[in-house]
Amino acid sequence: MSWNSWKRSAQLPACGLVLCLAACLARNLAAAETPAEPIVVGSPSRIEVYPTQAKLDSTRRTMHLIVSGFYADGGVQDLTSVAEVKSKDDHVARADHAVVSPVANGRTEVTVKVGGHELNVPVEVANQESPDKVSFNYGTLAVLSKQGCNSGACHGSPSGKGGFRMSLRAYDSALDIETLVREAFNRRTNLYEPENSLLLRKPLMELAHGGGRRLKKTDPGYEVLRDWIAQGCQVDPAEAPSCVKLEVYPRERILKRPAHTQQLVALAHFSDGSVRDVTQLAVFTSSDESVASVDAGGLVVGQDRGEAAILARYLDKIETSSMMFLKEIPGFVWSSPPENNFVDHFTFQKLQQLQILPSELCTDEEFVRRVYLDVIGILPEPSETAQFLTDSDPQKRAKLIDGLLQRPEYAEFWALKWGDLLRIRNVKVSNGGVHKFNRWLVAAFRDNMPYDQFARQLLTAEGSTFVNPPANYFRTATETNDCTETTSQLFLGIRIQCAKCHNHPFERWSQDNYYGIGAFFNRVQRKPGINPDEQVIWVARGGEVTQPRTGKQMQPWLPLTGSADLKGEDDRRGTFVDWLVRPENPFFPKVEVNRIWGHLLGRGIVEPVDDFRDSNPPSSAALINALADDFAKNGYDRKRVMRTILNSRTYQLSSRKNEFNATDTKYFSHATTRLLAAEQLLDAICRVTLVSEKFAGLPAGTRATQLPSPDVESDFLKVFGQPARETACACERSTDSNLSQALQMINGPLVHAKVRDEKNRLRALVTAGKSNEDIVGELYLAALCRKPSDAETAAATKHIANAGDRFRGLEDVCWALLNANEFLFQH
Amino acid sequence: MPTARKICVAVWGLVSVVSVAGGAMAADAPAPASFSKDVAPILLKKCQACHGSPEPKGGYQVSNYTLVIKAGESESAAITPGKPEDSELFTLISSTDPDSRMPKEGDPLSAEQIAIVKRWISEGAQYDGADPKASLASIVPRTAAPDPPQAYRRAVPITALAFSPDGQELAVNGYHEVTIWNAASGALARRIKNVAERTQSLAYNTDGSLLAVAGGTPGQSGEVKLFNPALGTLVKELGSMGDVAYRAVFNPAGTKLAVAGADRSIRVFDVASGKQEILIEDHADWVVGLAWNPDGTRLASASRDKTSKLFNATNGESLMTYSGQGDQVFGVAFNADGKLIFTAGADKKIHAWNPDDGAKKGEIAGFGRDVFGLVTFQDKIFSCSADKTVQQHRVEGFKPFKTYAGHTDAVYCVAYHPGTGRVAAGSFSGEVRVWNAEDGAAVATFIAAPGYTPPAAPPVAAAK
Repeated sequence: MSWNSWKRSAQLPACGLVLCLAACLARNLAAAETPAEPIVVGSPSRIEVYPTQAKLDSTRRTMHLIVSGFYADGGVQDLTSVAEVKSKDDHVARADHAVVSPVANGRTEVTVKVGGHELNVPVEVANQESPDKVSFNYGTLAVLSKQGCNSGACHGSPSGKGGFRMSLRAYDSALDIETLVREAFNRRTNLYEPENSLLLRKPLMELAHGGGRRLKKTDPGYEVLRDWIAQGCQVDPAEAPSCVKLEVYPRERILKRPAHTQQLVALAHFSDGSVRDVTQLAVFTSSDESVASVDAGGLVVGQDRGEAAILARYLDKIETSSMMFLKEIPGFVWSSPPENNFVDHFTFQKLQQLQILPSELCTDEEFVRRVYLDVIGILPEPSETAQFLTDSDPQKRAKLIDGLLQRPEYAEFWALKWGDLLRIRNVKVSNGGVHKFNRWLVAAFRDNMPYDQFARQLLTAEGSTFVNPPANYFRTATETNDCTETTSQLFLGIRIQCAKCHNHPFERWSQDNYYGIGAFFNRVQRKPGINPDEQVIWVARGGEVTQPRTGKQMQPWLPLTGSADLKGEDDRRGTFVDWLVRPENPFFPKVEVNRIWGHLLGRGIVEPVDDFRDSNPPSSAALINALADDFAKNGYDRKRVMRTILNSRTYQLSSRKNEFNATDTKYFSHATTRLLAAEQLLDAICRVTLVSEKFAGLPAGTRATQLPSPDVESDFLKVFGQPARETACACERSTDSNLSQALQMINGPLVHAKVRDEKNRLRALVTAGKSNEDIVGELYLAALCRKPSDAETAAATKHIANAGDRFRGLEDVCWALLNANEFLFQH
Repeated sequence: MPTARKICVAVWGLVSVVSVAGGAMAADAPAPASFSKDVAPILLKKCQACHGSPEPKGGYQVSNYTLVIKAGESESAAITPGKPEDSELFTLISSTDPDSRMPKEGDPLSAEQIAIVKRWISEGAQYDGADPKASLASIVPRTAAPDPPQAYRRAVPITALAFSPDGQELAVNGYHEVTIWNAASGALARRIKNVAERTQSLAYNTDGSLLAVAGGTPGQSGEVKLFNPALGTLVKELGSMGDVAYRAVFNPAGTKLAVAGADRSIRVFDVASGKQEILIEDHADWVVGLAWNPDGTRLASASRDKTSKLFNATNGESLMTYSGQGDQVFGVAFNADGKLIFTAGADKKIHAWNPDDGAKKGEIAGFGRDVFGLVTFQDKIFSCSADKTVQQHRVEGFKPFKTYAGHTDAVYCVAYHPGTGRVAAGSFSGEVRVWNAEDGAAVATFIAAPGYTPPAAPPVAAAK
């Protein structure tokens, strides 16, 4: 059989790469929305109404009442849409579908009746003598945000659309009033006949509008915009109250089928103490549409069991409501798997609640391969595997974990991961810097440097980048904004880049915050050192940061703490790190334990691993909190975190799914299969063939997982997603499958050369006089960490026998193993 | 409004179909359905928003008759004469399935509208105009513009004003009208109606016998009309555009009228015949400013595409592009000898550049916001800005000379009358102010909104 015909007949395993690509695309298809089913009221033991009273102190106020039924079994259900809500005095206030609106000054009560219960909500109506004006800041701009007009893809983009540009999500109201009213010779608003305004006719599609239909006359926003124009397109008076807080009710709910819908109410609290129902003006989004959808009016509909954060955004204010949807799954019986440690406790608690059954424990063969690859990045030698498999010690997995964490490859492999994040490259830190910085990282992992010290050494470094390698942190981050963004992403898990130019569109971070963090780093200076390529990091004695939009000088600012008063200190970085590493800092330990978890389990508890935000909740808050807490209270010991995770049953679950966890992708009920990282894969090929790769400028035998930087030219590594280290984002390492990868494995020169190499493993085994059967067994052990089945042995030896040339036959077997999904994937 | 139909006899230029007086229709036997009178207005109102652009939804475009009868991407016949049920246009507007019914994003057509389309197709889907490729907007019956408010309940922003050649009167935009005021006293003289919603530019010809009124309805239509300013009668209507006309200027001899607008075009009309002689489509965005050189051989433009351009006024050839403003350009003017072009823009500056080589010769800074307009006379440059000021600079050295204060909001337009030495400017607030250029003294201040009584407090708060 020829080489080529084998390639054809062995196409199946390699196709896995292509199929995986197709699967990635298919996953983007949104889950079909199931409409809400009718609500069965049943017999609640009591009901609650929120808010418990309403004050409607303007003609423009309404209040949406939320009615909840509580049941004897501990369950809760939203009864808002089925409750009978009536005003006791229609001359004071009206009630329509649980929305109370004012009629005339006075006091009355609204009666809520449902499920045999009745509650009265006091309502006070005031200031109805004359129609209230629409607030530009809190009405007009909120509507333009809600309808998406000023979103980043539309008129909120830096250049606007169709010559009409607004500030992104209304962060700059002074600009917006000019644009809407005075720009283009008052073209967009018609003060005389408001309904004829371009601002209304375009989104109504009465006139051609590139963005299509964005508004209906029945939308609450239509009336707001029309009235604002009719009232003269005015801005708010300087003394008008400002919004200080957004509240969303309920903050959290656990709904069990048949309960699966929840009306939310968004309440804006103003500086004058007033509370306004802004449900119709807020934008609602779901963190997971497959679990829960939410409509424009704040009605959440559960689609599947699981959790979702519903984000309510009202201008620059953001709040979330955590929703959990449970369902009785027919035939589900909790298997009560043993809990090795607290990781299992929290993971299984959630799985049991969601009625997701964890997979079985993985086999020893699967475990040894998995843990080698995850901890030290390389495959075990067949002898190591065999030794582990035959070990009868019940503690052998824990022993292996301890052993691997002590190996030099551990430090090198994790230095590679951090090398990505710290952007270690020749162009950034010079060739000499690359090696020095890499050696510092390797030593830090080898010596298990506490993570707080690790961060402090990086963030407060000064002096020569050659003498003090962590100073390269400020060499790669070449200016203050880069320091702000890198530090936020690496150590706080906050992607704050957006706030550089405008308040963050989806999160609570403002432009002031961005430059407030920058004020800790702006005094860091860089100058050439004595040696060529050397740089010296030093700190100037003065210098302040100016916020570009407001022109204000910014105080150093710390998340959740506020402005820091640092008079008299030249170098402010120490204060930042002091705050950073305090055990109660909610950001610092979480990001690192999440990053470690993500590396070991293929998916972060928060995913992406460095993107912590309200709209991206952890799949288990209890789990990440417990891990972070343990980390912070035990000296920021990273090996301890890894040991805890690796010894958990959760980590050691099989990747084989059962009928109760087949659709789970985020609760860790089974191991996640994933393509080996570029360097892991190359080292694995080298390990199976026993032919090492040569990297220019590096000692012979250097493994890919030891590379200090991606400056070596390797097409293979690039194709398999080795990052160029341009950014501090973990996302830069591509995990996508593509056709080039399949071609590299099937046809590529690297695989070909190693399979054919005169000194490779299979030839050494032939030379040692091994039988075909033994050689096949050894190759399986090297590539897959298991013995072949009888059928596999028979098929392989038969192929070798029929190949004519024994070497060709063995090469074919080796090639086929390297192209098997079982080899290409971590599982 | 039956009298309104009278204006039809005055339709000129590109307008190819003129509707006859409505009373001619017999009551007994219904007249055949007319494409131009019955169908085209429906298409314009209900379909054009999505199917009007050159890249229409579904590949089906309704801009003119030829396109209306042509199949879209579905390749099903849009119109099968005599067979409405085999006509995609009819089946889609009459569909009861909300997913396929047209208009997709708007309210459905009324039963009467559907019926008339059906009848037109049944009767053979004939074209009753001259040029089947004429735009729908140009063939639908001309109707007079709605009447202006009798008494304004609120002021409207002042976007256009012009002195009559004798300097005694000031024409100012209103809402669906142009108002004529005594320039010295600020008293209302006359009102000219039958004008589009917005008027963006006003220009008298040299002898004052014609007043050009350019404007339109934003996003919908543009128009240029010539009125007899003394009688208020419509003399000619010069073409129609798909969006607002922003500028109309007579050449120095008064024989040509150049018009620019939001449809990105510049057109030159012969005043006597009303014929469009030149169409220039050289700008990438709205053209909002236009000026003739002193001998009437060249035209300079100002555009939102951040350039100013120079054209040969006799053949439309593009001669020069000035990109130095680096931002939207609103106003343009030549100096007295035509050797300098001044442009005003969103960069808060007036630039001076050489029409022969496009080289920048200087600039005037010091404005707080966008500079919307400028006019020149001899050594004087008058400009108005969103910073609420009207300023006068000298051509010589581009030095500041005088600031005309008093406006309380963005000033959109400015005019100067050399004979009387008066400067007039109008602002967003609806106020017109007239000054003596000589001493800067206020001559007249009025809200150009007949019948309007300002409330005790200012009606429109200025932006912070």
